[in-house]
Amino acid sequence: MKYSYNWLTELSGTKLSPEKLRNLLMLRSFEVEGLEKTGQGLEGVVIGKILEIAKHPNADKLQLTKVDVGNAVLDIVCGAKNIEVGQKVPVAMVGAKLPNGIEIKAAEIRGEKSSGMLCAKDELGLGEDHAGIFILDKDAKIGMALAKFLELDDVILDIDILPNRAHDCLGYVGVAYEITAIENRGFDYDYSGLKLPKVKSKKLKVEVADKELCPRYIGAVMENIEVKESPQWMQAKLSASGIRPINNIVDATNFVMLELGQPMHAFDFEKVSGMKSKIPNYKSQINPKSQIQTCNIIVRRAKEGEEIKLLDDEVKKLDKDNLVIANNKEVLAIAGVMGGLNSGVNPETQTIILESASFNAVSVRKTRVGLGLKTDASDRFEKDIDPNLAEKAMVRAVEIIEHIAGGKLEGIADIYPKKVKPWKIKLDLEYANKLLGENIPFKRSIQILKSLGMDISGKDGKLTVGIPTYRVDIKTQEDLIEEIGRIFGYENIKSQPMVAPLVPAKVNKERFFERNVKNTLAGLGFDEVYNYSFYGQKDANDCALGEIKHLELANPMNPGQQLMRVSLIPNILKNVRDNLRNFKSFNIFESGRVYWPDGEILPEERKMVVMAVVLEHDKSAETFFAAKGAASDLSDKLGIKNVYFDNFDAAPSDSLLGLWHPGRSAEIKVEGMDGKIGYIGEINPLILPLFKINRRVAMVELDLEKSMEAADVELKFEAIRKYPTVLRDISILVGREITVGGIIKNIKKSGAGLVVGVELFDVFCKEEKNSFAFHIELGAIDHTLESSEIDAVMAKIISGLEKELGAEIRK
Amino acid sequence: MLEQKILGIKTEALEKIRSVKDDAGLFEFEKMYLGRKSEFTGILKGLKDLSPEDRKKIGELANAVKREISEASEAKRRELKNAGFDLESERIDVTIPGKTNGYGHLHILSIVQREIEDIFTAMGFEIADGPEVEREFYNFDALNVAKDHPARDMQDTFWLKPEIQNPKSKTQNKSEHILLRTHTSPVQVRYMEKNKPPFRIIVPGRAFRNEATDATHEHTLHQFEALVVGDSVNVGNFKHIAETFFTKFFGKKLEIRLRPSYFPFVEPGFEFDISCTVCGGRGCPSCKHIGWLEVGGAGMVNQNVFVSAGYKRNAYQGFAWGFGLERLAMMKYKIDDIRLIESGDLRFIRQF
Repeated sequence: MKYSYNWLTELSGTKLSPEKLRNLLMLRSFEVEGLEKTGQGLEGVVIGKILEIAKHPNADKLQLTKVDVGNAVLDIVCGAKNIEVGQKVPVAMVGAKLPNGIEIKAAEIRGEKSSGMLCAKDELGLGEDHAGIFILDKDAKIGMALAKFLELDDVILDIDILPNRAHDCLGYVGVAYEITAIENRGFDYDYSGLKLPKVKSKKLKVEVADKELCPRYIGAVMENIEVKESPQWMQAKLSASGIRPINNIVDATNFVMLELGQPMHAFDFEKVSGMKSKIPNYKSQINPKSQIQTCNIIVRRAKEGEEIKLLDDEVKKLDKDNLVIANNKEVLAIAGVMGGLNSGVNPETQTIILESASFNAVSVRKTRVGLGLKTDASDRFEKDIDPNLAEKAMVRAVEIIEHIAGGKLEGIADIYPKKVKPWKIKLDLEYANKLLGENIPFKRSIQILKSLGMDISGKDGKLTVGIPTYRVDIKTQEDLIEEIGRIFGYENIKSQPMVAPLVPAKVNKERFFERNVKNTLAGLGFDEVYNYSFYGQKDANDCALGEIKHLELANPMNPGQQLMRVSLIPNILKNVRDNLRNFKSFNIFESGRVYWPDGEILPEERKMVVMAVVLEHDKSAETFFAAKGAASDLSDKLGIKNVYFDNFDAAPSDSLLGLWHPGRSAEIKVEGMDGKIGYIGEINPLILPLFKINRRVAMVELDLEKSMEAADVELKFEAIRKYPTVLRDISILVGREITVGGIIKNIKKSGAGLVVGVELFDVFCKEEKNSFAFHIELGAIDHTLESSEIDAVMAKIISGLEKELGAEIRK
Repeated sequence: MLEQKILGIKTEALEKIRSVKDDAGLFEFEKMYLGRKSEFTGILKGLKDLSPEDRKKIGELANAVKREISEASEAKRRELKNAGFDLESERIDVTIPGKTNGYGHLHILSIVQREIEDIFTAMGFEIADGPEVEREFYNFDALNVAKDHPARDMQDTFWLKPEIQNPKSKTQNKSEHILLRTHTSPVQVRYMEKNKPPFRIIVPGRAFRNEATDATHEHTLHQFEALVVGDSVNVGNFKHIAETFFTKFFGKKLEIRLRPSYFPFVEPGFEFDISCTVCGGRGCPSCKHIGWLEVGGAGMVNQNVFVSAGYKRNAYQGFAWGFGLERLAMMKYKIDDIRLIESGDLRFIRQF
């Protein structure tokens, strides 16, 4: 909220400069987000009195004036029609530079000298009014700077009031109280002494149908009101605080709201009573006996579908959760949010009903959120207001309206069934010091609490603190400790090392493992990306994931971010698409969570790692094998032994299958472990064009937890071979259906422990057959192989290949 | 007599080797001094006829001289060989770029997160984790943010559909929403439900806020939370740990400033600033001439939170603090647009 520095100093008596005040408030109370000087551009504009007005000899529309500006009488040519002799007007002196950019120079206008300018409001930046010269109050002092007279030489502090202090500090008095407490002084004004006069209204009857939602309702009838513009000092205060002046009645209610934080409303009495209703057959509420016109105010829940036309002309449909102010017939206002158009004050209003009430914060909040409204009133009501504040506000408002609108109080109706009284909190000052970590003298702490209006009893630091009802936020001992701490000054609390057992931190194994994965992948040339946790239905459909049940956001930013990812792949495909604009080939990876909606209450979150490989050229599945090589390196580094790549067992339950190229993908498995730890493969080439990707993309997807489980084997030393090994080459022709993996397995099986390694070194296709050539490394652990042994093993291997795989040995 | 002869051969040989100019000369030299028919070999052969005392004495000398001559000969051989090698003809342009294997880059948030984790784990903090899709209870209710409390407005929430029916719910309302956690703080309560003080933990993790993105706002963020609970943990302790951490993280002595703030899960609550990492507090464009940089929120754990977690009221005290990794990374590396962080753009990622 915007606060006028002038008004704050008036209430608090502070001598601090605006800058110092800002810094102090920052450290003790609230963040001050801005500091803005007002009245800029009004230097050189003073108050003048019109002494003479004469016709301009050479121009019909112009007049010659003589204006007293205190130290001189100036000749000024003026075109406005609304001036009269004796009026006080703003005079821009020669040399002044007005907010609208006009620079005043001594000039000759149609042959007549003019040294200055009489100003309209718009020329002074005070509004859009250009109807005529801005006529000032009769008591305005000749020669006084206009900015000073209008109280425009102000500094506006934009203070960010925390939500837990909205109930007292969205009013000047609350902030002024803070200032006096910070400065360690008492607050001068006795707002708690404001008590309603005991005059019961004869004209107003208030009925609160829902006391839960309206703990207090005060209505006051004021008669003989003259609705007009409010005085300049009030307009200045409202404008400085960001509220547009309207008329003296509305301004008075807003003024009190600013001063005390209590929103108020004024109804036109006659409109509420129904006298002016245009609806035929409406029975007016005139008491036939006394002939006194009366008014009923009912605070109730709206009926389903009831409507109201608001002050801003908008019609809102209400429901039973909305609390309204109504008369016997219709809804007059949405309680705590906004008044209705039909019952508002207008220039003809003579009698008003002032409302100062207290509404349930949750109800106001729900109502205003539901109706999509947000007003100065709802901002305050939805944060819980002290019902006792309503009384102070009413007294102030009546007082002010009597003063500025000539009204007179007819009487009051106050419905306040459950009075809120100050409550007590026990406070141990030793605990306060133990929590703050500073030895604040008890005397100082007590002084602080007193300066905030608390009532203190007790001794030796064991206190009972009476909390004024406007401090709705203070409910516990710790709340009081915060008050002591912040007013004492957090910068006065010394930093001190903690005393704690010196024990090593428990290691988070999963994080440690993830770190290892990331390090390895970076070492293997993969760049790490972070993506959002969601994607859209279209992305899911494009990746053949559309049929999978996803966790869905109820209020996404946009449809493209509606589903919680079940796979990291869709967003990585977008990374691939985007980076292909700048790079020909790259490797990227992401480590993140996916969300499967199959948990009991919460979804199952799985940690996944996905690696993606994109190469510039791919003739014979280089992309796939680059990814496979990286996967092998990774598993090797992580200590995952016996990894193998298995064709999909295409169970229909496996819903992620459509993503992968059916002929170029595999499950990653570990011998001795059930299930898979991940997938490897090229992304299905039918999917890639949907992402505008014109390359092959190979990915590896690993389940981090399962990989960790697989890596959790103790490393054992294996003796280094002492006896030499020999190499034998073999070249075979096999059918297309025979895989290299199968051949190697077969060779190892036939070799019965003497095969140390098998390496594929040549591949070519010949009609319906594939030709493969392998180096086979043979050796024994305990002796050097004799050539007869080698021949025997080779014979076994060959016979195995021939018999079991139908291989033809090439010589 | 024999001794002198040997020494004479040595002097002669070492003199001669200096004038050897080519391989043929070296061959001749070796034949003359080390060859089977050389005088020297003849002497060695004759050693067996000497008395044992002489044999030992002369033998040692002869062998030493032989070794010396052989070494001189080897040295000459290398010299001749090296002289024939034209190294200059192999000169290359060393300014041609090297052939690299390439390496990958960790994401900037991973880098920053590790730096933070390492500092805290060195101080004995455990790293705790919790779910990113969270129950309304842990995200709000257990943290003293009551239903319909305006404080829920402070954090715009992504809600998931549909609402779940949870008979075990600790809130009065048996139907409960699930949401994307708006902060890492729910992990506080989850951890405390399973552990007793004293402890100190950090919680790095992803959090979500339903707000429009621009250069300084992101709906997906990464937070860092610290929670320290014990018998007498106080505000001064928080200041000290925060100072220690930031001083280490930025590599320069920094100060901490606490300002009053409001978060329902702490009381007292603070906003904390660090002295400007650029100017040290004197005021500069980086800190908008204030001398301080706003970093995060903190406070003493609200007793209601301890109660939600199953502790007795006023049995413990502790502090909690949190801040955003993105903000820290942006401060440290002077990044001006937060949206780059999750863009996946390698032109950005490869800079770190």
